[in-house]
Amino acid sequence: MKNSIRALRAEKGWSQAVLADRLDVSRQSVNAIETGKYDPSLPLAFAIARLFERRIEDIFDDEPEPCPREPGDQS
Amino acid sequence: MSSTRGFRAANRRYKYLFWPLMAVYVAVIIGAKLFIDDEVAPAWLNVAGALAATLPVVGTLYAIRRQTDETDEYTRMNQLLALRDGGMVTASIAFLIGFLQIFNVVGAIDVFWFGALFFFAFGLASLKHCIGRTV
Repeated sequence: MKNSIRALRAEKGWSQAVLADRLDVSRQSVNAIETGKYDPSLPLAFAIARLFERRIEDIFDDEPEPCPREPGDQS
Repeated sequence: MSSTRGFRAANRRYKYLFWPLMAVYVAVIIGAKLFIDDEVAPAWLNVAGALAATLPVVGTLYAIRRQTDETDEYTRMNQLLALRDGGMVTASIAFLIGFLQIFNVVGAIDVFWFGALFFFAFGLASLKHCIGRTV
């Protein structure tokens, strides 16, 4: 799942470690969520949204990414 | 609820239990080696020595279990995956050696080493799941 946590974190000037500290999770957790390797549970997603004062849907985007076109695909 | 404890508290509580247990384990092993001659000691003393050496290991397993309950969800997932992989490797090797013994390919091997193998495999799997997913 895509998300804008990295950008929001950059706005605040926080490192991954600072964000991890504020969420009381490991830095590896923040990295995995930011890079889309791990989707957080609903409680953690709410905690992230509260921290950045945004709605969950403003941070997380569950739209599937479009498939890359094959060379020569006219459709 | 366990999820309210968080990563830091879980780590702290794990270390507070793990390091004293390891100190006790090392002390018991050294003490038993120095003061118990298993060939002449009464059976109750040998049993007591074995129990004293086992209890810190059981305590360490409990510490891992508690940390798994209390830590953050991503760390918990990685720990459970590492326990799964460590368990699979240990069980597979135990079966392999067991069948090799049944077919008289290898001689007797102390069961003790399977416990040590589990912790080794769990440690390697932890590194794989922790480092492999985040670098």
